[in-house]
Amino acid sequence: MKFRLAALFAMSMAMLLVAAALTQPLTAADSSAKTNSPGSPLVKIIRPASERFSTDAATEVPDFQRHVLPLMGRLGCNTRSCHGSFQGRGGFRLSLFGYDFKADHEALLAKDTGRVDLETPEISKILQKPTLGIPHKGGKRMEENSWAYRMFTRWIEHGAKSVTNNVRFARLDVSPSEIVFNGEGKTIPLKVVAHWADGTAEDVTCISRFRTNDESVAEISESGIVTSKGKGDTHIVAFYDNGVAVAQVLFPVSDKTGPKYPEVPTPTKIDTLVVAKLRKLGIVPSAISNDGEFLRRVSLDLTGTLPNPSEIEAFLADTSPSKRAAKINELLARPTYAAWWATKLCDITGDNPKQFAGNVLNEQLAAQWYSWIERRVRENMPYDKLVAGIVLATSKKPGQSYEDFIKEQSSYFRDDKPADYSARETMPHYWSRKMMQPEDRALAFSYAFLGVRLECAQCHKHPFDQWTQDDFKSFTAFFTPVRFGVSPTSREKNVALRKELGLDKLMGGMLQRELGKLAKEGKEVPWQEVFVNPGNRPAPAKKKQQAKQKDVVATVIHPKLLGGKEVNLAMVTDPRTPVMDWMRSKDNPYFAKAFVNRVWANDFGRGIVNPPDDMNQANPPGNAALLDYLAKGFIEHKFDMKWVHREIMLSDTYQRSWKTNDTNHLDEKNFSRAVLRRLPAEVLIDAAQAATATSKDLAGFSTTAGLAERAIGPKGGAALARRGPNGGDFASKVFGRSPRDTNCDCSSSNEPNLLQSIYLQNDQEMLASIDRPSGWLNERTGVTSKSKLADRKATGQSITSLNKRITELEAQAETYKKAGTEKEKSLKDTELQISARRDDLNKAQKRLDAMGPDQPVQPAFDPVTVIREAYLRTLSRRPTEAEATRAREYLDTAGDNAKGLRDLLWALLNTKEFVTNH
Amino acid sequence: MATNRTCDGVLRRDFLRVGVLGSGLSLAGFLRLAEAGDVKALTMPGMGGKATNAIFINLGGGPSHIDTFDLKPEAPAEFRGEFKPIDTNVPGIRFSEHLPKLAQCADRFALLRGVSHSLAAHEFGTKYMNTGNRPIPSLEFPGYGAVVNKEMGGPKDLPPFVAIPNTPQVAGFLGVEYAPFSTTNTPTKGVPFNVRGITLGRGLTVADIEKRRRLLTDLDSTFRGFEKESDLVNGLDKFSQRAYDIISSPSSRKAFDISQESPSVVKLFNPSPFAQSCLLASRLVESGVRFVSVSNGGWDTHQDNFAKLKDKLLPDLDSALSGLFLSLEQKGILHKTVVFVTGEFGRTPKISGRGGRDHYPRAMFVLMAGGGIKGGQVIGASDAKAAGPASGDGITPDDVAASFYHALGINASKEFRTPTGRPVAIVRYGKVIDGLFA
Repeated sequence: MKFRLAALFAMSMAMLLVAAALTQPLTAADSSAKTNSPGSPLVKIIRPASERFSTDAATEVPDFQRHVLPLMGRLGCNTRSCHGSFQGRGGFRLSLFGYDFKADHEALLAKDTGRVDLETPEISKILQKPTLGIPHKGGKRMEENSWAYRMFTRWIEHGAKSVTNNVRFARLDVSPSEIVFNGEGKTIPLKVVAHWADGTAEDVTCISRFRTNDESVAEISESGIVTSKGKGDTHIVAFYDNGVAVAQVLFPVSDKTGPKYPEVPTPTKIDTLVVAKLRKLGIVPSAISNDGEFLRRVSLDLTGTLPNPSEIEAFLADTSPSKRAAKINELLARPTYAAWWATKLCDITGDNPKQFAGNVLNEQLAAQWYSWIERRVRENMPYDKLVAGIVLATSKKPGQSYEDFIKEQSSYFRDDKPADYSARETMPHYWSRKMMQPEDRALAFSYAFLGVRLECAQCHKHPFDQWTQDDFKSFTAFFTPVRFGVSPTSREKNVALRKELGLDKLMGGMLQRELGKLAKEGKEVPWQEVFVNPGNRPAPAKKKQQAKQKDVVATVIHPKLLGGKEVNLAMVTDPRTPVMDWMRSKDNPYFAKAFVNRVWANDFGRGIVNPPDDMNQANPPGNAALLDYLAKGFIEHKFDMKWVHREIMLSDTYQRSWKTNDTNHLDEKNFSRAVLRRLPAEVLIDAAQAATATSKDLAGFSTTAGLAERAIGPKGGAALARRGPNGGDFASKVFGRSPRDTNCDCSSSNEPNLLQSIYLQNDQEMLASIDRPSGWLNERTGVTSKSKLADRKATGQSITSLNKRITELEAQAETYKKAGTEKEKSLKDTELQISARRDDLNKAQKRLDAMGPDQPVQPAFDPVTVIREAYLRTLSRRPTEAEATRAREYLDTAGDNAKGLRDLLWALLNTKEFVTNH
Repeated sequence: MATNRTCDGVLRRDFLRVGVLGSGLSLAGFLRLAEAGDVKALTMPGMGGKATNAIFINLGGGPSHIDTFDLKPEAPAEFRGEFKPIDTNVPGIRFSEHLPKLAQCADRFALLRGVSHSLAAHEFGTKYMNTGNRPIPSLEFPGYGAVVNKEMGGPKDLPPFVAIPNTPQVAGFLGVEYAPFSTTNTPTKGVPFNVRGITLGRGLTVADIEKRRRLLTDLDSTFRGFEKESDLVNGLDKFSQRAYDIISSPSSRKAFDISQESPSVVKLFNPSPFAQSCLLASRLVESGVRFVSVSNGGWDTHQDNFAKLKDKLLPDLDSALSGLFLSLEQKGILHKTVVFVTGEFGRTPKISGRGGRDHYPRAMFVLMAGGGIKGGQVIGASDAKAAGPASGDGITPDDVAASFYHALGINASKEFRTPTGRPVAIVRYGKVIDGLFA
């Protein structure tokens, strides 16, 4: 965006390098008379209130919404620590961050408070307290006889009216929109202009609030003066009414800017856009990573899996110039790609076995959720279609009879050859979670599919975005008719079926357990269902709430899309349909961006908007053009997820080394290099398993069969429900796997901590996985052969004693048989015992058979090969000469091979290189 | 983008490096605080704060108040139950006849009666009593141990927050770095205690782990010299070193080895897992562990209330707690160790048809000791049938929480930021209980 600020220019040109188009400075008069938005007609901008009220001669009557409340915001009156507190301060409460004009006006004008005195304006408390005419706990907020004081006074003198003007606020502009500093301590003022729907515009700099997004780069004064503090880039944010506008601040890191910037190849559009910003900042990107680093990184990011040794060797040996592109395609076709991205989508959508409202067969529900998503990722269903399958789902298909619904639903749960849930067209489980209130649904929905956090607006005006409480309520209205339970149309049949199954007397947990049991046996049971309540009536408020709200005048809430239009729900059967249509429309500001930004965050450790699930106006993308490009491309490619992965991973930007240079060693947000990231919990747990597995198991690790037992596999999510001494899978918890119970990408953590280090170094689970009989250490050294022999002996002994016991019991049974009916019960017991012993005997025999030959063969042990393989298994590369020498020396002096190799594996698993993606 | 916003407009730094050239609070900064160890780096000056360590005893299931510390001998038979009160070593204070040892050290702790809330489900009552905040669905509050861990750090070679064998206290929105170190089992009398992650298993000696540690140091060289540029590298190094210090340290092994305890202390505890856990708690705190929680279950006496209490629960409780108070005193650390004993609720004053008592949050008891808390006193009271506070709302769990933090010098009204930037006070509503402190 262009900006023209000649007055400024004259004032600070010596200190500033102002970016963008400052080629033709205009006169001071011109600059104040024009907006800085391209294409808009010339608009007369009303001078700032600070000028209009600069003398006592001012006669203008300020407007409550446009002037009075914004000034109170600027003075800090309605912040949380002051009157914006929900308890108020000194008995006086304002709505937090404003925007409840009615309530605020009532609070100011409340009888007998003296806050506003229409008779004698100057004794009004809102004038006396902030000037300390009378004591004020909040301290002095303004001067007597200041323009602000005069503005409040004029408002009171003219009757202290509430909102008088119903013209809608249109937008906020801040200029300059981009500032480039060339030294510390330089200053430049910002100008903020508010535009209203009727075409009026006003300079509101003096009644706006400001904030810097990084005070180590730039500070902003209350009056809007930006001061450079340090090298780097950030945004200054201005707030007025419900408008938010940002100015980008750049302070180059080196002198290598503009023409002095070195030649950096930009083979892809992503590279062009990333380097364009780096050029402004004087940051030179790192070189391209080597093949080994690339393979490891791309395998982890796409498939959540380390490359296996033979794959690494083959890739390193491959001389094809297009081998990286070929590898990306190969990985995208693997089952592990679908597994890893299904896991991520399950995190975001909240697939948690503890969260189901129906509470019947929760682990199966969680696994069905995963399998439904996994199949679609595998088949590369367009992302919008995938999401629509969740968003628009109902349990009973349109037109399906209750009987058919029950039949179908039951078929997914039977133990004996269950039907494939993933084949279902839609996946309603998302709506069957415990969050039954429409508000909870709106929050979860905007988080998952829009990357927008609405929590703030549930209780007050969002402090950093346009959202007001009304916006929140209007969006929530779409979810009000979506229910989980027994639908009115199913009720009668549901009751009848319960009765038929003899379950009509059962309640709560007893009923759920029984339903689960019958379903597993293959019976058709009365399921609850996700349905849209006909008539779109709002959800019944709880009795208590109704009582509370008795005196409140009901306001009609019109369903309204976020930042979009109102929707008349009378015309649609399912209110979610217009939301879905809006999301997949090409102008939607969030849906496509939320996904591409999360992919980017997966691949770089931080989003272009970061945190990746916090898209709001005050948190602009670090590189807006880059985010726009990816989002637009995603939409143009019909929401093809693989397109996003390819586009990113084929760029130089993605393939850069983690090794830094003088200009980028502190850059972690402009993508000038790879930033080290700790592996995600699931990936790390799987990687440790893989690194220690036998060669055969390792080879199968990336297959569908291998995924069955993996943390990113279909059973991975079930761990979230397991009750154990530590409430579930210990390692998952310690390494910060997402518990999928809150609406935040931050639920999964890849921060390091003490418990992780203790776990990797000395936890029994970790040590046992190195030592496991079916592990690589044993394969290489035969370490368990001794214990195997002992096991063989013990199994042999138990077979002998079982045989003996069975003979005894059979004799006993014979005597009971002879005793006739009198001993019938004893006979039965004995027969049961015999059958149990026979089972044990069978098992023991099988175990013995599985043990193989009596004398295990000591495997050949070539230290050079073993060391190389240990490196390939853990660090995905060959050892350097120095490393190989050190490892060899350790093995040679260890006493025995097993001891040496165990320690070598342990050490490699404990390196920082193993636990990070780099 | 360098910062996250909070609902009140205050900036919150990203945990990791800030800005292109940012110098804000980094992982390294966090580590420095954690390493400061015994220094109470983040607490408010001028707050209560005599205690430096804490022991939390969680009586899971909800112990009966009317059969233990709040007897009502004058109440009708269907309320007062089978047990008789006995005198304690503090005139005027009487406990159940099945707590004779505790009766003889009633002067060491304060008894809160008429503690009251309204959450009668185990899960919610437990959350409330283990955080001091009434649970809400949108936020997981951190348990006491996590907050103390965050605010006060821990010793160099011991985990800061140990749970024996586990705890309902989670790190919640504070994040896993403040999570408890759970032992997952309980100690056996006279036997060195095997602790997950700390005990050297599989025949390893300290010499073995030193040797392999040297190998690790030599091989872990790829990012050498990169520590200053990556908080992650620096953090991994620091945590790895600290883990090694804990695992290899003779003092950590010693801290967990209850077989090394002196006979005069050992004899204070019966052999039950609960009492031995309290012995370990006392030993761990003496060794410097900041916060120890001991969880003991079985208090959900819907049936056979009296037999269960008389035969098992109360004798173990009597030994465990009297042993704990007296051993802390003997070691000379009771004054700086705050002890907090609670269940999730009390039990119905009226005995049920099954000879049991059911969930009852309206009246319960809490014991507190050490850290400047005045022993030998009863604060609060329940009504004539132990059916609710004698007056008003009684003592709230929030007040108990505020008092507990006060004893440790932690300002309970201090605010944390959740990962989404929402400001949340450590305890939202509590006030320090009048007269609790000497």
